[in-house]
Amino acid sequence: MAGKEFKQRIRRALDNASLRGALERFADAYIVSREQVYAGRDFESLRQRIAAIKADAASRYEELAEQFTRAVEARGGKVFRAKDAAAAREYIYQVAREHGVTDIVKSKSFASEEIHLNAYLQERGITPHETDLAEWILQLMPGERPSHMVMPAIHLPKEEVARVFSRYLNEPVEPDIKNMVRIARRELRKKFLTAGMGISGANIAVAETGTIVICTNEGNARLATTVPPVHVAIVGYEKLVPGIKDIVPILEALPRSGTAQPITSYVTMITGPVPAWKGEGEGIKELHVVLLDNGRTRMAADPVFKEALQCIRCASCTNVCPVFQLVSGQVYGYIYSGGIGSILTAFFNSLEDAADPQSLCIGCRRCAEVCPAQINIPELVLKLRERVVRKQGLSRGYRLALHGVVARPKLMHTLLRAAARLQGPVTHGRPLIRHLPLFFSSLTEGRSLPAIAGRPLRDRAKDLERPLSKPRLRAAFYSGCVIDFAYPEIGEAVYKVLGREGVQVVFPQEQACCGAPATYAGDRETAVKLAKQNIAALEGARAEVVVTACPTCAVALKKDFPELLAGDPAWEGRAQALAAKVKDFTELVHELTGGRQGPFGPPGGNGEKKQGAGEGLETGRQGSLDRQCTTSGRRAEPPGELTQAGNQAVKVTYHDSCHFKRHLGLDQVARRVLQGQTGLELVEMKESDRCCGFGGSYSIKYPEISRPILERKLKNIVASGAEVVAVDCPGCVLQLRGGLDQLGSAMQVKHTAEILADCEDE
Amino acid sequence: MRHAELIASFTSQAEAMGARVIPVAGPGEVASKLVEILRPLGLKVALVDSPLVQTAGVEKALGQAGFSIEKDGACFARQADTGIVEFDYGIAETGTLAMDATDLKTRLAAMLPLNCVALLPVERVRANLTEVIDAYLGRGSWPGYFTLVTGPSRTADIERSLTIGVHGPERLLIILIGDNGGGHHGR
Repeated sequence: MAGKEFKQRIRRALDNASLRGALERFADAYIVSREQVYAGRDFESLRQRIAAIKADAASRYEELAEQFTRAVEARGGKVFRAKDAAAAREYIYQVAREHGVTDIVKSKSFASEEIHLNAYLQERGITPHETDLAEWILQLMPGERPSHMVMPAIHLPKEEVARVFSRYLNEPVEPDIKNMVRIARRELRKKFLTAGMGISGANIAVAETGTIVICTNEGNARLATTVPPVHVAIVGYEKLVPGIKDIVPILEALPRSGTAQPITSYVTMITGPVPAWKGEGEGIKELHVVLLDNGRTRMAADPVFKEALQCIRCASCTNVCPVFQLVSGQVYGYIYSGGIGSILTAFFNSLEDAADPQSLCIGCRRCAEVCPAQINIPELVLKLRERVVRKQGLSRGYRLALHGVVARPKLMHTLLRAAARLQGPVTHGRPLIRHLPLFFSSLTEGRSLPAIAGRPLRDRAKDLERPLSKPRLRAAFYSGCVIDFAYPEIGEAVYKVLGREGVQVVFPQEQACCGAPATYAGDRETAVKLAKQNIAALEGARAEVVVTACPTCAVALKKDFPELLAGDPAWEGRAQALAAKVKDFTELVHELTGGRQGPFGPPGGNGEKKQGAGEGLETGRQGSLDRQCTTSGRRAEPPGELTQAGNQAVKVTYHDSCHFKRHLGLDQVARRVLQGQTGLELVEMKESDRCCGFGGSYSIKYPEISRPILERKLKNIVASGAEVVAVDCPGCVLQLRGGLDQLGSAMQVKHTAEILADCEDE
Repeated sequence: MRHAELIASFTSQAEAMGARVIPVAGPGEVASKLVEILRPLGLKVALVDSPLVQTAGVEKALGQAGFSIEKDGACFARQADTGIVEFDYGIAETGTLAMDATDLKTRLAAMLPLNCVALLPVERVRANLTEVIDAYLGRGSWPGYFTLVTGPSRTADIERSLTIGVHGPERLLIILIGDNGGGHHGR
């Protein structure tokens, strides 16, 4: 569980309305502008090129550093290899001291923040002046910290900046942005012209030529590296690339991903010392490059985390992060924020320091989708979580839930049945769980219970498994805990729809929790145990296909099991064989029906596939009058059947579940299946692929973050004008139903299986 | 891409990024155009000499028009209203100017004054950054201080409100010089 101080920071950020407003406005505009600035470009191939260049560099930093050093020295510059922050600070201080420097102009540099350079120099009587406007404003506000990697002061309203400037100038300053920018120009110009030293960071460092590449919009880096007679560049090893042409794809992506600009106003490439004005006349500037390690080479040697060194610091991952957008970078606590920030913090600071920040990741995978360096950030966050857990152990509640219960399916099922009997009146509070272990941990925190079905799916399965005379396919249904115990009706819908398609579905009773809750909690041990149990159970079903209706489970079976059991001779092959059989329900339906238009199943409903796609389209249209989605009212409980007035199509909007879209890549398949249903009209909501804020245990751990994410989702859902929200994840069903219920909305939330089950022959 | 298309793309991209592109038919028209556009911007000019500046007779024309011209000194370009610099290349893809700015005066004139005038012959417009890099690599050793400039200096640091002209020039005027009347300076 997150530390108390950390929780307080979250609370403060969430309570700060102007911060939230600014971040939201920025992030909303960013998504649109980013799309525009990449229009007509092949983002996938661009990111592959960048990832290849940076991954190659990360595998040979030592070689590149040597080459870089030789190149800089050949031009007359100096390179200092700093193994840690202390060494870097001291070197820079000594250079300043040798030159009798009292004032330094600094261009934005995360590395300098990382090594806490300003404080070090200040304590020794040297004043560093930040010259990036935002950084300067923050510097004038003791105790403030950057809230964003690219726009550090995005959280400050102009009135606040005016107050800061008024204090600084000792005269009233109006909150007029244009005028305040002029003041900054005037004041900082004095510093540029008098400082004895300029300090910059670097966006790229080219080993071949010894070139440092710096991107700015304001032009401060040009001044800081031109006017003062001494220049110190602080360059992390991860900025190294082999050749000068390697900068091209990075420069193509960095500004586009960072601020949605085709290029920054200035790109400055410095290779060795250049002429500068030195007191008496023109001379040659002194150039020092501090190559900073501080955990980077250790990271490069780590087979898992090496990937994070591909980061080009564009911050697009945070720009699209629904959590970052709410809490801002100030909450993360260290220099680098967001998911990638927590990974970097683990190496540049310590694993302990990364423990809280990493826990903020909700796992929606949006960041992985936009990362121009193709870093699988959410995956790395999970790996980090595993390491945190290995080092710090699980919290008591989690330990009890995961080891004590989830890892023992029989006990868990018994407890759930007991819970179903004991739960009493169900409150209107939102249901809180996804996978049952979380329900147990919620018990320990005194939270309200979710509604547990009176009869779990596993008990209903026998009634559902009427043998088909000539089945097309034999499928084992892996329901996952939520469908099994909270939404057995989704499972029934799966049986019904697949049965109609001629699929014989069986329910292996020995199946257990997929282990996702353990995986996402960093508890590898429990995850391995459950993987084995499930593999054995599903093998026993002797099915051709293992069908799931929960994308989280599907990811566990398809991807996590083989990874958890890799290298285990007894299990590796079995895990892979299982993974190959796993198919999501909607995906399977799409395959069985050939994605054709029209109501489900050919006339007669015997489950034989007759038409090809084109033909089916015609047949489907003809059949549309007598076979439509109707209100059959066969089931008692709302949300029940699709409602429909006359022959008008029912408006359905589709919510993309994070795992379903970004792991399984089935978002378009689901839409095609729904569009194929006569009587349904698919209407897109705004931001359909934005997380609903559930994230399994996340909504229990961080309800204060989960809730506003949900609220935004609900707003978009309601605005779509649809009557039904279709989803392919029972977790999202749970979250959205709870949210709409609280809104008092009549909208229904249905799993695609339920919608298809309702679309049937009269 | 045909050269005319490159020029069109360069012009529209540069203007989209906030620069003003002022085409002139040939080097012979540079000086009079400068007199015309610089007058409202202040009479103090920092000028970096180059063959083009000489052929075009920039110094003489500005002097005759009453401008004070700075070409040197410890305070070079610090007080000037405008800096005039010849750039090496234009990049059509992004409307970017490129130059080897190793020479100190070149750098100062392009970065200190509120206005920057970039002189660029049309035949130096290239399609993209790769072509420009190739051009420098072809010259031999890589420049000590290489600069890409796209539009004026800008910030959006306060409330994400785009504001032009922070530390660098507030105005970037690109005199795009056609090849009428000879005077090629291809590099």
